[in-house]
Amino acid sequence: MTIALGISDLGKRFGGLVAIDGLSLAIDDGESVGLIGPNGAGKTTIIGLIMGELRPDSGRIDLFGKDISPLGVAERIRCGISRTWQIPRPFANLSVIENIRIGSMPDSLRGMIFDRSDPIRERELAMSVGLAKNDLERKASDLAMGDLRKLEMARTLAAGARILLLDEVFAGLTVGEIDHIAAVIQNLRSRGITFLIVSHDLPALAPLIDRAVAIDRGRVIAEGPLDDILDHPDVRDSYLGR
Amino acid sequence: MDIGRHHLALWAIAAAGLFVLPSLVGSGILRTLILANYLAIFAISWDVLSGRTGYISFGQPFLIGIGAYTTAILTKRFDVPMEISIPAAVLVTMVGGLIVLLPALRLRGSYFALVTLALMELCYQLVQVIRPDITGGTRGMSGLPTLTRGASNGYYLSTGLMLTIALTAWMLMRTRLGLALSAIGMDEGAVQGAGLSPTRLKSFAFLASAFIAGLGGAFYTHYLGSIAPRALFDITFLFTILAAALIGGSGTVIGPILGAFFLTFLLEWLRPLLPGAERYFVYGLVALLLYMYQPAGILAIIERVRVRLFGDSRSG
Amino acid sequence: MLLQILIQGFLLSGLYALIAVGFTLIFGIGRILNLAHGSYLMAGGYAFFWIGQIIGLPKIIGVALAVFLGAGMGIAIYRLIVRPLKGDRIAVEIATLILAVILQAAIVLIFGSSSKIPHPLVPGVVRIADTPIAWSILVATCASWIILLSLYAFIRLSHTGRAMQAVSMDPKGAAICGIDSNRIDIIVWSISGGLGALAGVFFAGYTQLSPSMWVTPLIISVAVVIVGGIGSIMGTLAVAHIIGFMEVIVTTLIAPELRGVFTMGLIIVALLFRPRGLFGREEI
Ligand SMILES: Nc1ncnc2c1ncn2[C@@H]1O[C@H](COP(=O)(O)OP(=O)(O)OP(=O)(O)O)[C@@H](O)[C@H]1O
Ligand SMILES: [Mg+2]
Repeated sequence: MTIALGISDLGKRFGGLVAIDGLSLAIDDGESVGLIGPNGAGKTTIIGLIMGELRPDSGRIDLFGKDISPLGVAERIRCGISRTWQIPRPFANLSVIENIRIGSMPDSLRGMIFDRSDPIRERELAMSVGLAKNDLERKASDLAMGDLRKLEMARTLAAGARILLLDEVFAGLTVGEIDHIAAVIQNLRSRGITFLIVSHDLPALAPLIDRAVAIDRGRVIAEGPLDDILDHPDVRDSYLGR
Repeated sequence: MDIGRHHLALWAIAAAGLFVLPSLVGSGILRTLILANYLAIFAISWDVLSGRTGYISFGQPFLIGIGAYTTAILTKRFDVPMEISIPAAVLVTMVGGLIVLLPALRLRGSYFALVTLALMELCYQLVQVIRPDITGGTRGMSGLPTLTRGASNGYYLSTGLMLTIALTAWMLMRTRLGLALSAIGMDEGAVQGAGLSPTRLKSFAFLASAFIAGLGGAFYTHYLGSIAPRALFDITFLFTILAAALIGGSGTVIGPILGAFFLTFLLEWLRPLLPGAERYFVYGLVALLLYMYQPAGILAIIERVRVRLFGDSRSG
Repeated sequence: MLLQILIQGFLLSGLYALIAVGFTLIFGIGRILNLAHGSYLMAGGYAFFWIGQIIGLPKIIGVALAVFLGAGMGIAIYRLIVRPLKGDRIAVEIATLILAVILQAAIVLIFGSSSKIPHPLVPGVVRIADTPIAWSILVATCASWIILLSLYAFIRLSHTGRAMQAVSMDPKGAAICGIDSNRIDIIVWSISGGLGALAGVFFAGYTQLSPSMWVTPLIISVAVVIVGGIGSIMGTLAVAHIIGFMEVIVTTLIAPELRGVFTMGLIIVALLFRPRGLFGREEI
């Protein structure tokens, strides 16, 4: 197995607060890992660090064995890694299909101006995350939360992502929508996409992951199958508060 | 893209109409049309930057002024021919565009607008004190060479320039680049998250805006034949540009043009009723009310009327 | 020379603090930049002029009218522009800039475009350390200091003032504690307008009345907020002194035409290098 995403000894402070504290983590190619931890544990911060939106104070991040620390956000995305947001960030005034188009654009002015967009691929992407045909021309601001999460996934896939970092994918969804998103993730897993999934909804998360990593205060406190982790005393403590 | 036959016919009629217009109307109306054309150019230049990316520039007069002053100084003080001074002015204005871009790399929204406002006022003060022998100081310069003689030639030149700029901008904004620029205005972080470099997109928007502003400013100066700091680096001038884009409908190309013509002709019609600067009172009220209650501008009103009259069938 | 700079610097800076304090307060409670702030000064100055020199009533009535007019304008701007735009800061900026242009035109309509010289608030000149100083300017500076210190005390000690602080620090939290933020907003907007107009009466003694007189005070206020960071009254005073003194130094030692250059340059440099302001985040 090749390691798709390797994080070693990552550290990040915000002023006096140590948000990430010497954290290491490795995800195999095609694997799906759940990232759990109480509020403020540092889950969103890790995703920001992996994407290069935040600058780490120490440590390194490898993508398929290549150190991506010097790369900017756009370059990392071109290496095949993308994220979604805890609170979805669609381009509110653009239609669904235009949102996906933004994700599938080349990052060069020339390409944006002269190359044609590929409407067939855009539609396929929308369908592959379960968006309905008659949603494609709707404005993103009119979509329900579940569709917004699907749209975000389509946008990241459009950018050619092979590793997806999903932040709180199930937050704000109805039960039906959770099933939908879960089915989409399963489908993508079967196509070999690697996942790091953050969620508080453990029952929904369980079937989607191969193993889980629990963190608290920026440190890994337990690693392994989700059920075992939940029995781990440190994990219980961190969730219940000490 | 298929252009129907009736579209071609419409364009032909419009072009012919524009061409024969000078022989139909008096030179007074032609001069108004010329002013409207230049205002439209300035409003488009503002909109390419602010209407799309959401970085509200209060410093457009700063850019226009750089273009105008560069060509004025080159032709008047150094006897440079206009064929060289105007391109030079455009280049210098684009350097000015980079100056405006600098704060936009660090600041968002309301602060960015303030820096550009400060830049404009700074220029106004500096032009008067630094080398007044070159800039003409407080009084500016007059007797600059002009590109055309007579109202009808000025009309052809300005209309041609405006339509060229508008058409180019329109075609550019229809591409995915235009889409990406609008996306910057909605959520810059998400644009980055989609794998695009916001800095590159912003640089493009700022340079394109400066290009248009410099070109418009230089031609405008050589139409007027004179230049004065208070006419350029001025909040009322800024207001006119802003109002044209906002009233017409920002984020489009046709909107700023509509707004520019609406405002220029409104100003002309008000002239007999309210001579002098008081016109800005009515002008401003219209702009403010429209901005508060119809932020999408005249364009949205026209669209609504069209839908009411002809139903929601889009023909173009 | 040095003493002269010192005296003039103090006199000018006190007035600048009064000019900017209303702008800072508004920025403090809603992070809103009211670009029509300079128009309060213009309205106040002209109201004073109108009462004293056109109607011919006592000056104190002119001062009172100016303050009421400014307060009324403040409430009107809040109700008619800021509230309907729901705190969209960029939209408020654009709308208040347009409003400032409208008000400038209104002044031209009423008073004409030529500049006016209002009678001094208090006639006569005193000499302090060999420097002739107009009484009206001395009075203006003393009044500014008294007003600013009482405002400080009001915000620190009174119930309403504490509520203002609360809204400034955390609007949602304040709402949960049962503070009627709408009432606070109205109070702050009227104080801001009233003080702006009063500053206009004083300011007119320095310069003259003209339809474009609103630009300079606006730039000063912007500079104070930008350089000082989230506005506190003490921060306002401090930055007003930086700007006031630099201006006096530049005009006496270098060139009078460069008066505003420094202020503008300060705004640009501060925003580029210290976007949070010199004094960072603070309560009002
Ligand atoms: N930009 C920032 N500046 C300062 N502190 C921050 C910043 N971002 C996050 N933090 C702090 O870092 C810690 C980790 O935050 P993070 O958002 O990563 O937690 P999380 O695990 O995603 O929590 P949640 O479950 O609430 O989403 C928190 O204490 C948070 O307050
Ligand atoms: Mg989080």
